[in-house]
Formats: sequence, C-alpha cells, structure tokens
Amino acid sequence: MTDFRARVFGYRRKHKQDEALRAILERIPIFEGFSQRELAALERFIHRREYLPEEVIIRQDEPGLGMYILQSGEAVVLTGRDEVQLSRLSDGDFFGEVSLLDETPRSATVVAKTHCQILGFFQSDLFGLMERDPRFGVKIVIRVAKIIGDRLRKANQQVLTLNEQLLQATHKSPVTPP
Amino acid sequence: MNPSTARHSRELMPLLVALFVAILLLFIGGAAQTVILSLLLAYILDPLATALEARGMSRTLAVVVVVLLLSCLVVGAGFILVPVIFEQMQALQSGSTTEQASLAIKEIEVSLKSQLGFLGLGDMDLLGRIREFKTSIGERMFSFLLSDSLSLIIHGVTIPFMMFFFLKDGREMKKALVSMVPNRYFEFTLDLLYKMDTQMGNYLRGQFIDALVFGAMSIIALWILGVNYFVFLGIFAGLANLIPYVGPIAGVIPAAAVAILGSGSLGSAVPVIVAYFALKLIDDFVVVPYVVASSVEMHPVLVLVAIMIGGELFGILGMLLAVPVTGFFKVVLKEGISTYRKYRFT
Repeated sequence: MTDFRARVFGYRRKHKQDEALRAILERIPIFEGFSQRELAALERFIHRREYLPEEVIIRQDEPGLGMYILQSGEAVVLTGRDEVQLSRLSDGDFFGEVSLLDETPRSATVVAKTHCQILGFFQSDLFGLMERDPRFGVKIVIRVAKIIGDRLRKANQQVLTLNEQLLQATHKSPVTPP
Repeated sequence: MNPSTARHSRELMPLLVALFVAILLLFIGGAAQTVILSLLLAYILDPLATALEARGMSRTLAVVVVVLLLSCLVVGAGFILVPVIFEQMQALQSGSTTEQASLAIKEIEVSLKSQLGFLGLGDMDLLGRIREFKTSIGERMFSFLLSDSLSLIIHGVTIPFMMFFFLKDGREMKKALVSMVPNRYFEFTLDLLYKMDTQMGNYLRGQFIDALVFGAMSIIALWILGVNYFVFLGIFAGLANLIPYVGPIAGVIPAAAVAILGSGSLGSAVPVIVAYFALKLIDDFVVVPYVVASSVEMHPVLVLVAIMIGGELFGILGMLLAVPVTGFFKVVLKEGISTYRKYRFT
C-alpha cells in the first residue's frame, strides 16, 4: 500500500521531509520534549522558505512577526547603520523568537551567507493555535517566556560583571542592574 | 536575462496566475457568486469549527459537524418556512384585494386628483395597477422558483461542498498562497492577511448575526401587528438590513404597503412604520454594539455606488454582496498602505 502511495502521490518523499522537519524542531529549545503529535500539529503552521546567498531574511527596524529556524545553510546577524556583525548562524540556530510575543521592530538584520532553507513560525499562527488548542498554545508561550527569562538573567549577569569592572576602574558606588 | 531577473520572474509567475484566475472569476459571474458565497459562509462559520476543535475534535470532524448542523438547520427551516412562504406567495399571486383596500386605494386616487389636479393627472387606475403589480410579483417568484429550481439545486450542492473544503483546508490554502509570495514581501503579506482576517472576520460575522436577529425581530413584530405575509416580509427586512442606508427603508416600504392593502386604511401603516423604527433603534443601540465588534467605516456615497454596481452586475445578490466586498477592498487598501509604510521597500 505504501509503495503504491509512494509511486502515485510521492507519499514517501513527503513522509521523509516531515521526519526531517520534526527532527529539527525537536532540537529547538522552545519545542524540546514535545510529543510526536504536538510536533505534527506544529508542522501545519510552519512556513518553509528558501533564501539565496546575500539575501536579507529579516531587516532591522521592520515589524517583527515571528521566529525563524535555520534548517540548513549559514547566515549572519548584523546591527546598526555600519552593519556590525554580531554572530554567525548555522543549521538548527533560531532567531526572532521574541516577536512571537511582542510586535516590536526587529533589533538586528539577518542576511543569508549561503543557500539557506528556513522555517518560519509566526505570532498570528501561535494566536490561532491558542484558540484551537489552548493547552498546547500556552505550552509554547511558557517556553518562549522561559527562554526570554534566561536571556534576561544572562544580560543581568553581564551588567553586574561590567558594573564590577567599572567599579574597580573608577572606585565609584555600584549601579543597580535593571 | 540575468539570474536575479529570472528568479524574480519565476517568483512572480504564480502571483500572475492567481491574478488571472481572480479576473476570470470576476468575468464568469455565476461561478464567482458561488465561490464568494461559499467563502463568506466558510468565513462566518470558521469560529464554530475552531471552537469544536478546541474541545478536542480533529479539524475534519469539526467541519463535518458544522456542515451537518447547518444542513439540519436549513432543512428544518425549509420544512417550517417553505409551506408558509408558498402559501403567502400564492395569496400574493391571486391578486385579491379586500373591499376595504379597494376603497382606500380609490380614496387615495380621488385625493391625488383633487390636490394635484394642476399636474393634469388623468385616469390613474391605481387599483388595477396595484393588482397587476401584486400578480406579477407572485408570478415572477413562482417562475423563478420553478425555472431556476435546477440552478437552486446545483447551488444547494456546490455551495456546501465548496464551503466544506474552504473550512477544512482554508489554512493550507492560505499557506500555499503565501508560499508563492517573494521573500521580500513574505512578512508584509502575512502581516496584511492577519490584519484583514481579524477585521473582516469580525465585520462579516457581526453583519450575519445582525441580519438574523433583525429578520427574526421583524417577523415577530409583523406577526403581532397582524400583517399578512409576515414571514416573507420579515426575511426580506433582515436581508435588506445588510445594505446600509437603503436597506432599512427598503425593508419598511413593502410591509407598510401590505398593511395598507390588507386593512384598507392608510393609518394601518403607522404601527408598522413605528415598529420598524423601534426595531431599528434596538438594532443600532443594542444588537449592533454586541455583535458587530469592529465596523468597517465606509462613506455613504461609496456604499451607494457599490450597491448600484453590485445590482447592475449580479442583481439582488450583487447588492447584498456589494457591501462586504467593498469593505474587503477598503480593509485591503487601508491596512495595505499602513503596513506597507512600516517596511522599507525600495
């Protein structure tokens, strides 16, 4: 039966694509530990895009609609008018997850450096999912909130470290971190 | 052709195809009406399917339940309403006018002649004309129902069929449509679609519920006032209420006319007009604020022009569809421009 479906509908190719997609999603901290049923449900909201080298994926200051996952390829994160390179992204890296909760403009530009296959997951789809399956939707929101919380803690730690360094250099009273 | 131009041409091709299909649909009127009606129904019923999905049903099962519920509702309403409508239409077709009504019409004719004699009005034969008009309405409706019964049956099958697939696969269709958009305009399109979906969804669902409520209130009011053909006139008022400005007036005129002809006194139109006025107030101040979450503000001139164009192209159905279709284009333009400004397209 499967052979027939494979020949007639290309079923096997689609099945392999789905498995590969689930394997990538499982590696993303937001979707880590999700059941196969949840990952399959998530697949329906994922947009697949392809970018050529030097093509801009997201632009700084433009509205942020959701997150992107780099399925394959390499990209760079640039910021400011001088386009200072902040980091380099490769297979399995993700960016823009804050936009799942907040509609503030993008804080950096991401440019593809090689041919990139990218998966997009957007706020509108997350809101739709929350209407259809509130428990699952909330699960994703909590994961995103945890990741943002972790980043905030790391940022606070960095502020403290920098504050201590500043204190040592200037011998002034410490500044309270945000 | 350089590689970049080739890539852009390749990316734009599906969009051109979609545009071509849209223009084709516009020119083959009947098919376009069926598609638009199915889309509207799917759009209106989508929250119901979503609510069932939230209770643990699969999308397909939820859609099947919604379509079955709607079918039961339509068949049930048909069983109750069709005999009443037929009976009322037969009465209308018979052209019978009560003696009192004949006297009232003659009185109106005499009064018109005496007061507007300077216009040189001759023998108007108002009674004959009204009888002729009533008979012709009934005949037209019967011939419409009989001659177009095949088309009605086809619509009765195709609309639920298309609606089922729009409801079930709507998200995948939207995703497939978005996948055709070039990378640079992808997020912009997604943003625009989401805003349009939110605004139009609220507007259309609100209008649909409002028409249902107004229709039901009109039927009850006309029944209490003892106006003939109350079911028929109430349904007409509910549908007419979908058309801003013109609709409420168009809804009250036939009801008032039927009341005059039924009782034979001009005064009998007064309670009907007062009832409609009260219903419109209830509709505007109680029903609309509750059911129409966000209104798509449109200039009265734009609405009237849209109704005229809709009527010219597709008749009564065109007039009913003109307002939501114009609202759709207004939202596309308004949201399109405001969203476009946020992106740095060069």
